[in-house]
Amino acid sequence: MQLELETRLAKAAHMRRQLMAASCALLGAAAARGQEARMAPADSGLLEDWSVDSALAYYHEDGRIQAIEPVVNIAKLFADGQALNFNVTFDSLTGSSPNGALTSRSAQTFASPSGKSAHAYTTAPGQLPVDPNYQDDRIAVGGTWALPVTRVDQLSVGAKLSDEHDFFSVTVDASIAHDFNEKNTTLSFGISEEFDSLQPIGGAPVPGSDYALFEKTGHKTKNGVGALLGVTQVITRNWLFEFNLSVDRFKGYLNDPYKITSIIDSAGNTTGYEFESRPDQRTRKSAYWENRVALGGQISTGLSLRYMRDDWGVRSDTAQLHLHWSFSNRDRYVEPTFRWYRQTAASFYTPFILSTEAPTTAYEASDSRLGAFHALTYGLKYAQKLPGLGGREESEFSVRVEYYQQTFNVRTATPAALQGLDLYPGLKAVLVQVGWRF
Amino acid sequence: MAGEASNAPDEALSVEPRGENLLAICFTAMASPCEVLLPSTTAPTAALELGALVAQEAWRVEKKFSRYRCDSVTAWIHENRGTVIEVDRETASLIDFAGRCFELSSGLFDITSGVLRYAWKFDGSDRIPEPAAVERLLPRVGFKKLRWQSPRLLLPDGMELDFGGIGKEYAVDRAYDSLAVRCSAPFLINFGGDLRANRPPLHGSWQVGIERPDTDRRATMILDLKYGALATSGDARRFLLKDGVRYGHILDPRTGWPIPHSPRSVTVAASSCTEAGLLSTLALLQGVRAREFLEEHGVRYWLLQ
Repeated sequence: MQLELETRLAKAAHMRRQLMAASCALLGAAAARGQEARMAPADSGLLEDWSVDSALAYYHEDGRIQAIEPVVNIAKLFADGQALNFNVTFDSLTGSSPNGALTSRSAQTFASPSGKSAHAYTTAPGQLPVDPNYQDDRIAVGGTWALPVTRVDQLSVGAKLSDEHDFFSVTVDASIAHDFNEKNTTLSFGISEEFDSLQPIGGAPVPGSDYALFEKTGHKTKNGVGALLGVTQVITRNWLFEFNLSVDRFKGYLNDPYKITSIIDSAGNTTGYEFESRPDQRTRKSAYWENRVALGGQISTGLSLRYMRDDWGVRSDTAQLHLHWSFSNRDRYVEPTFRWYRQTAASFYTPFILSTEAPTTAYEASDSRLGAFHALTYGLKYAQKLPGLGGREESEFSVRVEYYQQTFNVRTATPAALQGLDLYPGLKAVLVQVGWRF
Repeated sequence: MAGEASNAPDEALSVEPRGENLLAICFTAMASPCEVLLPSTTAPTAALELGALVAQEAWRVEKKFSRYRCDSVTAWIHENRGTVIEVDRETASLIDFAGRCFELSSGLFDITSGVLRYAWKFDGSDRIPEPAAVERLLPRVGFKKLRWQSPRLLLPDGMELDFGGIGKEYAVDRAYDSLAVRCSAPFLINFGGDLRANRPPLHGSWQVGIERPDTDRRATMILDLKYGALATSGDARRFLLKDGVRYGHILDPRTGWPIPHSPRSVTVAASSCTEAGLLSTLALLQGVRAREFLEEHGVRYWLLQ
């Protein structure tokens, strides 16, 4: 009985192979003929199947920096599921950048980091000290290669280079994603490593050293490692969520070499400055939760929440809500976005150092990015699909406008003499981006 | 392929949204509703262009092999009975394929069995043919009676070839190949329930409705397909009923009589639609052993008894 069953199964397996072979012979012959037919006309350009996403952004901070940023991203999805992606970004920033010093009732004169006397600058009484010679050009190139390993596993590797005249950075990363539960669930794990090299103009200041003594050393490095664990889950046909946990740790020279902190006396007079001094390592942990929900045929919405904390005492919360509304037969869409951000200050953040008080921590920094603030971003994107060019299926033209408003929440008591000055002016910025994808 | 009303295909395409995430490009071919599903992010113009590519292939295969069209290769073969003709390469590979299937199924799968319909009219009535009438047709049935040396064919007098049993699935695969080189986005091609998809749509799988032809109502069963092909064979509305015995429309080409207890319909999943169609047809031809056959072959299947 058993033998008979085995024989039958073996026969079935044999027949299945024969049927498969017969089907393949038929379709293979057809495909080969199709190939001949397709080979005849010369219709394949090298870039034909690449999708190109290009954008030009203009960023303007009220009274400070402005930047122009062209971005080009090219991507190709291969029939076997492999995907290649390259991008090039160029940033050109000019304008005035706060140097970290406190607004004073008297004029303040600063030497330029380059040491050139022509670049020395003076800040008028009552004004926030900013370096007006700020200029930086950055070029960044990156690439990612994603390849399916099995039907449910995808490996992805990437690299990124970024170059500025005083900064060079290389990042490599790798991640693996595993689908299961009928592809409704994806688990992913990624690691990354970053190597940075800093060559500040005039040398890297010794952390915490006196600004006037100009104690600087040569080139510095920092590097970081990161890991990310994520899960993406399809809940219903209309609802998808993503949850990520990530941790990264940076070590090395983590100071901003151009930031200084004012030293003031009890009368509120600025008596000097010192270079900022941050710890030489930082560990950040963050959790991210995103929900995407389709509401009917034309509207979808996304809500994401992010929580981050680091061992410098910075904690931040981000909430972002966006709406995607397509109309005109999906030829157009608008996407309003609203983002709320709040962060607490690093434990060593101080807007100034009181010369009369003994320092409470070994570190200090007045960089407003380490201070407590909250920010709101309002954005609106409009996109229009256009007929494709040169045999492409379609192209999309888009315009995005964002308005960013930052407000500081400094708790440090203001010396009586400085009251009435706008010591912690917030920041307002506008971003306009024009994109063309084809 | 089988389509009494398909003399002049209505060569029109329409695009319509299908759910939130998909666009369907619809047309009619081989007397069946056909569609191509693409992500809704595809521009309608591009969708129409890709849909047209698929439709052209469907109409081309239909025009070439339909036995209802007087300008088809099938009609030309029938006109030249009794003489040696040389067929084109595509027709030759289909005949080769049919020959392999005939051998592998020990004569159950036979593209020459179409003439049996002169005796059998499956119209739900009780008109069972005279055994003698069936007997008279049998000499005109049998792949072995063809003289076939690719690409030369001699079709004996009185015999017919019918590519209906494989044409629709073959058309799906051909259309699939021509679309796959042009479109890397997820797509699904569906010719009247025979279908094939290249990859799952974003975040999920294809929800495929397969009509389960029932005698009293036409129910639809929803299957989840990520990629690969599904084909369905069987038509429960075509039968005869006499003295309480149901005669299904699946005929044994060797006897000329319906195969008893064959399932009403069988749907099989395989990597190509041609293979899926072949497996589902062969399963029907196994009669009472259909389920066993499918189990032995280790395929994913859905069977309606």
